[in-house]
Amino acid sequence: MSNSDTVPLHPSSQSDIDEIENLINSYPSSVLPARPPSPPRIPVSSTPPPPPSFIPSNLPPPSVPKPTPVFSPAPSVPAAPLPPIPPPRGSATSSSSIAGSGFGPAPNTLTEPVWDTIKRDLSRIVSNLKLVVFPNPFREDPGKALRDWDLWGPFFFIVFLGLVLSWSASVKKSEVFAVAFALLAAGAVILTLNVLLLGGQIIFFQSLSLLGYCLFPLDVGALICMLVGNVIIKLVVVAVTLAWSSWAAYPFMSTAVNPRRKALALYPVLLMYVSVGFLVIAID
Amino acid sequence: MDLNPPPGENYAHPKICFFHVFFKAAALAFYILSALFISNFVIIFVVTVLLAALDFWVVKNVSGRILVGLRWWNEINEDGESVWRFECLDQESLARMNKKDSWLFWWTLYLTAVVWVVFAIFSLIRLQADYLLVVGVCLTLSIANIIGFTKCRKDAKKQLQAFATQTIASRFTSSIQSAFTAV
Repeated sequence: MSNSDTVPLHPSSQSDIDEIENLINSYPSSVLPARPPSPPRIPVSSTPPPPPSFIPSNLPPPSVPKPTPVFSPAPSVPAAPLPPIPPPRGSATSSSSIAGSGFGPAPNTLTEPVWDTIKRDLSRIVSNLKLVVFPNPFREDPGKALRDWDLWGPFFFIVFLGLVLSWSASVKKSEVFAVAFALLAAGAVILTLNVLLLGGQIIFFQSLSLLGYCLFPLDVGALICMLVGNVIIKLVVVAVTLAWSSWAAYPFMSTAVNPRRKALALYPVLLMYVSVGFLVIAID
Repeated sequence: MDLNPPPGENYAHPKICFFHVFFKAAALAFYILSALFISNFVIIFVVTVLLAALDFWVVKNVSGRILVGLRWWNEINEDGESVWRFECLDQESLARMNKKDSWLFWWTLYLTAVVWVVFAIFSLIRLQADYLLVVGVCLTLSIANIIGFTKCRKDAKKQLQAFATQTIASRFTSSIQSAFTAV
């Protein structure tokens, strides 16, 4: 608890630290335990700590059993790793080794975590894509499929599909793009609401994420159709990619609802993908 | 919050502050200028929304952590339920945070949301649905960050209060103890 292990960032904050230290030092028996020399970083949960995820526009749905925000000791952020130290104060947390730079480590780790965050997010997009679009043992379980949801992937896929459709169109390109984007985004939201209203047990953002990732085959199909002129080939390509998209979305959607309502939940999804498929074929 | 930056110290993380402001300003500037120079709406949409999304990511993952020591995210736990997590630094580190950094952080966060709201009103008045779409997306991204970080800050304040009351309470009990031992 001495000054040797803490380096104040600015002289103005030294007085605050002194005050706090005096308070703590004068009453050794019954006060807070020692300040850790570096931020405590112990993951409490048994699952691997998920990195921050891209959250979309809507307000977070209050679907949690504990509505109050939860403080947790920070998961270890992929930066210059410091040795984990048991947190003496349960409620205090720290977020990253950069914050710990106030205690000593040099701020040249400033760029490192940013890169690591970027790499982590990119690898998450790739792994989510693989989970959703390719065969996967967990896809039957809506709880486990796409645990680490993120919306970057869906964002890129929707924008890409809109761009391809817009490029393929010979007239009214801007409107095609705007319509395609709005249709896909609103469609994903409405499909999710549909499942929720049917009494399904899904998480809003997870479902949005999944529907977005399932657009990937249609993206590929649209790209091929743009490059190929023959209508027959276009039809075949779109049919194949449509089937692939629907196959990818089917398990998640169907297991989320009551078996008697499966068709009610699935039909709109198929409808949306079929209409996107038609859009891809019909664009000229 | 006052209108002027706190005097005395300089920015502790100038590059981070720069990026924090850069993407916001770039999105706004592109939106404003493009309406004058670029006729292709697709480009306006894609670039503006991309810049806004990058800004969202930077604020959430980088500048929030470094400038104000707050972080928020969502995770899905073992039971398949989604939990929102809000996290802040311990009190000493929070006290060390550069005041100018946090002033910049909060002011630019709120200011950009206000500007996007103004643009939304403009496009509503002009009945331009496609521009309203762009503004809507950017606005919702800003608001998401504002809500997340404000929740973090409120909990940080609650934590500070708890810390303060705990210290006062322990001081009180200790002084009583010492009073009794002295007798």
